[in-house]
Amino acid sequence: MQDLTMQLRDTARSLLRDGKVGLVIGYEHGSVLLRTKPCFVRNADDTDRLVWSPLCENNIASYLLSIKGRTAVFVKGCDARALLCAISEGQIRREDVTIVAMPCEGVLDRRKLAERLQGRQISGGTVQDGKVTVVGQGFSESYPLSELLPVGCVHCTHRTAPVFDIRIGDAAPEIEAIDDYADVKAFEALSPDEKRAYFRQELASCIRCFACRQACPLCYCVECFVDQTQPTWYHKTGDLSDTLLYHVVRALHLAGRCVGCGACSRACPMGIDLTVLNRRLLRDVQELYNYVSGLDPEAAPLLSAASPDDPQEFIK
Amino acid sequence: MQNPYEPQMTVIEKTITENQAGDIRTFQFRFREQAARDAFQFVCGQFAELSLWGVGECPIGIASSPMDQDFVQFTVKRMGVVTTALHRLREGNAVGIRGPYGNGYPMDRLAGSNIVIVAGGFAFTTLRSLTNYVLHPDNRARFGKVTIIYGARSPGELIYKYDLERWATRDDLDLHVTVDAGDDSWTGLVGYVPSVLKDVAPSADNALALVCGPPIMIRFSIPVLLELGFTPECIINSLEMRMKCGMGKCGRCNIGGKYVCKDGPVFTYAELQALPAEY
Amino acid sequence: MDAKVITKEKLVELLDQFIRDYEVLAPVRQGDAVVFGQIQRGSDAALDVKRTTMSPKGAFFPQEEVLFIFDGVEAQVPTESGARVLFGVRPCDGRSLTVLDKVFDTAEYPTVYYGNQRERTFVVGVGCNQPPDTCFCTALGGEPFGKAGLDVLLSDLGDRYLVEALTEKGERLLEDSALLQDASEEDIKEGKILAREAREKLNVDLHIEELKAKLGGMFEDPIWAEISMSCLGCGACTYVCPTCHCFDIVDELVEVGGNSGRRVRVWDSCQYPLFTHHASGHNPRPSHRERMRQRIMHKFSYYVNNFGVIACVGCARCLTGCPVNLDIREVLLTLAER
Repeated sequence: MQDLTMQLRDTARSLLRDGKVGLVIGYEHGSVLLRTKPCFVRNADDTDRLVWSPLCENNIASYLLSIKGRTAVFVKGCDARALLCAISEGQIRREDVTIVAMPCEGVLDRRKLAERLQGRQISGGTVQDGKVTVVGQGFSESYPLSELLPVGCVHCTHRTAPVFDIRIGDAAPEIEAIDDYADVKAFEALSPDEKRAYFRQELASCIRCFACRQACPLCYCVECFVDQTQPTWYHKTGDLSDTLLYHVVRALHLAGRCVGCGACSRACPMGIDLTVLNRRLLRDVQELYNYVSGLDPEAAPLLSAASPDDPQEFIK
Repeated sequence: MQNPYEPQMTVIEKTITENQAGDIRTFQFRFREQAARDAFQFVCGQFAELSLWGVGECPIGIASSPMDQDFVQFTVKRMGVVTTALHRLREGNAVGIRGPYGNGYPMDRLAGSNIVIVAGGFAFTTLRSLTNYVLHPDNRARFGKVTIIYGARSPGELIYKYDLERWATRDDLDLHVTVDAGDDSWTGLVGYVPSVLKDVAPSADNALALVCGPPIMIRFSIPVLLELGFTPECIINSLEMRMKCGMGKCGRCNIGGKYVCKDGPVFTYAELQALPAEY
Repeated sequence: MDAKVITKEKLVELLDQFIRDYEVLAPVRQGDAVVFGQIQRGSDAALDVKRTTMSPKGAFFPQEEVLFIFDGVEAQVPTESGARVLFGVRPCDGRSLTVLDKVFDTAEYPTVYYGNQRERTFVVGVGCNQPPDTCFCTALGGEPFGKAGLDVLLSDLGDRYLVEALTEKGERLLEDSALLQDASEEDIKEGKILAREAREKLNVDLHIEELKAKLGGMFEDPIWAEISMSCLGCGACTYVCPTCHCFDIVDELVEVGGNSGRRVRVWDSCQYPLFTHHASGHNPRPSHRERMRQRIMHKFSYYVNNFGVIACVGCARCLTGCPVNLDIREVLLTLAER
């Protein structure tokens, strides 16, 4: 990772110095332990701020929707796929972006780490060579990073950008198993009452702050359906039906587009697992259409294009 | 204790469609309780929140003069959910009113002064309230010369035509009505409000100018006024802002540390210059 | 009332006693989050939590609050009556209530809803022996064992709590409780040491006085574009914040086409794009830059000018909740050093 950080900085420096881009977006050390945050560098002398590690959790493709001008982004596989999806939807111009592919083996799920810590405060922590090490008053513990990955990373099938301009390091080895969506199947096996109870409980915490929507690089509508008043689809009070409506419709609007990066779940201040709905739709899209989003910036978005020989056995 | 969020109920007495496009209507409300009307003492330039149970509330400037004790009038443009629902109502329907809110026009400064009114389009409403108040026989003597320059995009979009006709017959005010573009029957002035203002060139001597209109009209009118010798303290604006509570609590309408609903909507140009450019 | 002590076991009993007489709200776990919720048993209170995910402001300014219930004939104000206890409030959150009081209860428009909730609630605070290292209440004039906004303050002395009634309401809540015993001189001294040590642990200086003096003139400073670059506009900060108070008022019908329903006050956020959007389409705050600027200036400049206090208590929920780790401490320092 150290070496990758150095290479990343070198690449950023030369891109800026050579005037290939006016802005580089990556990550820098966060203000608290075991965190990074998005970093915007315009000056070639400033590139030492940039870092690369399994703490680089944010999907920085979001920023390209509002930033104009030639920009380089240092992206994980999922970030890149979101970016490519946005390009295929005409939201970002391919020629404006220099995609620098970083090898990713998953990011640290801070909630899973918090579960291990059980409220204990840490005074130091590192993530290196697949291990998360934390120290605090009276304790020093180490966990394999593989046990602290979010569900999207556990099932990731594209760890490095499928389309890129520059690649740093070697592509991250793809995990051997294809996503078997075991979690989706397990949920589907529940009875309707159990499913209803699950959503009632999970969404009881939802405060409708829409952090999930804002963190998603593909939720870019100027006026989201929840903000429309004529007609009013969604009421601002906390009836579970409205809360569920928001989450279900958002998931549906992302069907065929969502790349499973998990930014939505990570953004939620209440720690709600938002991926249940998205993963179900990812499975459906895969099985019904044999489609994975964000692999080809020139491909028409799945649900925006129809052809006579589209599979339709499932239409009864 | 009076609940400040509670609207007082009124009944629609009359509705007038003001413009050709039909999307601007004046509503005349009579309070159900006289006590509520008595409590609703307002000053020209203030606004109220019109409330439709089940639909919502919207902030609208008060269009009638405070001298009309039996009713209050509001002129509403149909834009969103609440105004659309309001436009569907007819005589006899109930509407709630919460207010009055805002600081209103500085009546103490206006007394004894010459008054220059520069208004464009739909924003004329609270200045029409002021004009009718000033022209009222009980009040006229307290104010100086009154000059009005009022314009709309086209003759069909002029509002308060019945007032304009009445005022045109008076010899105690100088009325100039203009349109951006005339039509076959229009025989009046044609020209943007700022250029008519320049032609009329009202004297700044002991005068206050009140300017209400679309942002572009205001932007071009203010330099004309400054050149005519009006100081920033003597140019008065009424701002529009997205508002909800009307009481400076919901946090929505602030410009810097001032709330448009409470510290405004009336600000002098001098006060606006001291505020952040966030409106 | 003189200071008292209560053992940790008896504290749970005290909570049970309160539950018999009042509605009791305390920190409770809800999934991965900790919020203030009603407890039915004293043992349900999660007293080990250092900082709740959501602040207790929802007890006084709920996320949704029914202002009126209408039925086509008249509109009623739903009255919530009966005293209740809000238990386990950290001093920063206690202080936040004194900040919110100023905007909700003004001379011109005295409060009805918020005020009613404040009046019927006993606020029982717990001091912070080990403040999380992200906290910065001390930088803003608060402290880990501060008393502002609280009726009672508990200090954790290890096997027992020091219990101090701070207001007449606090005394009323605690009087006649057989579970409390008089505190000894030692107890009181230990409490003072604990408070001092906690304060020293949180020695944070964000140059707030300097910032207050210059912030008013910084509206046009280009730094706002830099500061707000990573912001997603998600609004999570405003929702977890104990002093954010922006709201909207919406009407809901029981059924479409009917005429009965409710008028509800709901939380809103200055970080949302449509917050200041005019019907004409004009928006005075069109991007993250203007909205971030509004948030900071409102809390650290406008509120100070209007009410004399900073609308931030240093609880650090915003920076821990922020998906992009936008740290208000860094923002304040950057601004102070301009």
